[in-house]
Amino acid sequence: MPAKGVQVPHGTDIRIEGVRLALGDDPPMPVLGGVDLHVPAGTVAAIVGPSGCGKSTLLDVVAGLAAPDAGSISGADSVALMPQRDALMPWLTLRANIALGAELASAPRDDVGRRADEAIARLGLTGFADHYPHALSGGMRQRAALARTLLAARPAWLLDEPFGALDALTRTGMHDVLRDLMREVRPTVLLVTHDIAEAVALADRVLVAGPRPMAIVADIDAGDGADPAHAADAVMSALRTAGALA
Amino acid sequence: MSRRRLRRLLPVLILPLLAIAAWQVAIWVAAPREWMLPSPAAVAGAGWEARERLWFHAQWTLMISVIALIISAAVGAALAYVIARSRMARLAIYPWVIVSQVIPLVALAPLLVLWLPPFAAILVLAVLMSIFPVIVAGVDGLGAAHPDLIRATRGLGASEGWTWMHVRVPAALPRLFTGLRMAAVFVVSGAVVGELVASDRGLGALTRLSAGQFETPLTFAAVVLLALIGLGLFGAIAVAERLALPWTRRPTRPRS
Repeated sequence: MPAKGVQVPHGTDIRIEGVRLALGDDPPMPVLGGVDLHVPAGTVAAIVGPSGCGKSTLLDVVAGLAAPDAGSISGADSVALMPQRDALMPWLTLRANIALGAELASAPRDDVGRRADEAIARLGLTGFADHYPHALSGGMRQRAALARTLLAARPAWLLDEPFGALDALTRTGMHDVLRDLMREVRPTVLLVTHDIAEAVALADRVLVAGPRPMAIVADIDAGDGADPAHAADAVMSALRTAGALA
Repeated sequence: MSRRRLRRLLPVLILPLLAIAAWQVAIWVAAPREWMLPSPAAVAGAGWEARERLWFHAQWTLMISVIALIISAAVGAALAYVIARSRMARLAIYPWVIVSQVIPLVALAPLLVLWLPPFAAILVLAVLMSIFPVIVAGVDGLGAAHPDLIRATRGLGASEGWTWMHVRVPAALPRLFTGLRMAAVFVVSGAVVGELVASDRGLGALTRLSAGQFETPLTFAAVVLLALIGLGLFGAIAVAERLALPWTRRPTRPRS
């Protein structure tokens, strides 16, 4: 059942070719060492790699928040980025926070409230719309951040360890919420995580990133046809081969 | 008044009550002349007797303090925005804002009186003495927005200008209010210093006139009233803060 009022355009690939980036001046530290990846429209790819390998920097580059030194990115103006922490404005109610997504998508002013209410209902936040974020649990805040991302009406989502700050139980619950939402809306998703189980559970493909400077060292099928345990093993051994396990 | 409020208020009153008691004991023991140190009762009596005169002067001081505080808030916040937003302004203006506070502003009072009509001189002095905490708190506050908030909105397509208006400015408000509360206290000192040198009206002028005529109980009463004005302005800012920043009140977490 497609969510009413939530229209996300379809059909954007995320394509990154030969992206290199060094940060700092003295001397510049290479962070991205030639990243190639392609996420076909409507599919979900997870990037798994050691912490500090440059995954978040890669998402910043894809979202157009940082300019690469070399390489090409397509689809930068059609992505919505959701950071690890919920990043809700503490001074706005949950409803106003969610509405920001629609406002930034230049939704007509009188339509913003209606869209926000639909997203609130869709993500099970009815009854909490007038609360401020600090009064809500981590899971609820993360649902709100998802609702805001949804209302941004971008065909591609970049999720940067979206559930990294949640406890294990809440995280499992959020996996179901996100999976349902992705099945319904069919965005192109690039998900960054350091949780192998999460990557295998949510993604069609798992891309394994090596340590800095980052490059993709393996591309593992984790779609509906693949055996999750087998996929997890493959990810693990790719990480080990890349020297990403300390 | 409920018992709970009374129980919260009592500890607040301990120090002033002790001070008044010590003051009274000093009067009994040392028996100074009233023009040297009047008793608390004499101060209260003089204050009540001269209530109309006190009110006449208090209105003036209160008016100058409120106008100066509004100017400090508006100009201070605007300067903070410019300094935080522009690297050029940060380099060109901010160091001099800080250096300006090294000058003992009280020493400027006679000069200001020389250059400006009395009302304007007092106003300028009160603004100069209260604007600094507003600027510093504002600049700090504008740099205090969590990077994740900026990244989250930029990552949804927000422009640089949008994040300033919708993220950095609201995030700066709690710190700005801290600066304003300090300004509310300093502004009264500024007004009094101005009145001491430049005016025949206002509680500052009254302390000068009454002390000069050895009406010491009245001087004391004026000082007490000045403290109350400072407290009142501080309280007004605190109330404004509560109204303007409802999210900083922490309600209990709803159970899910």
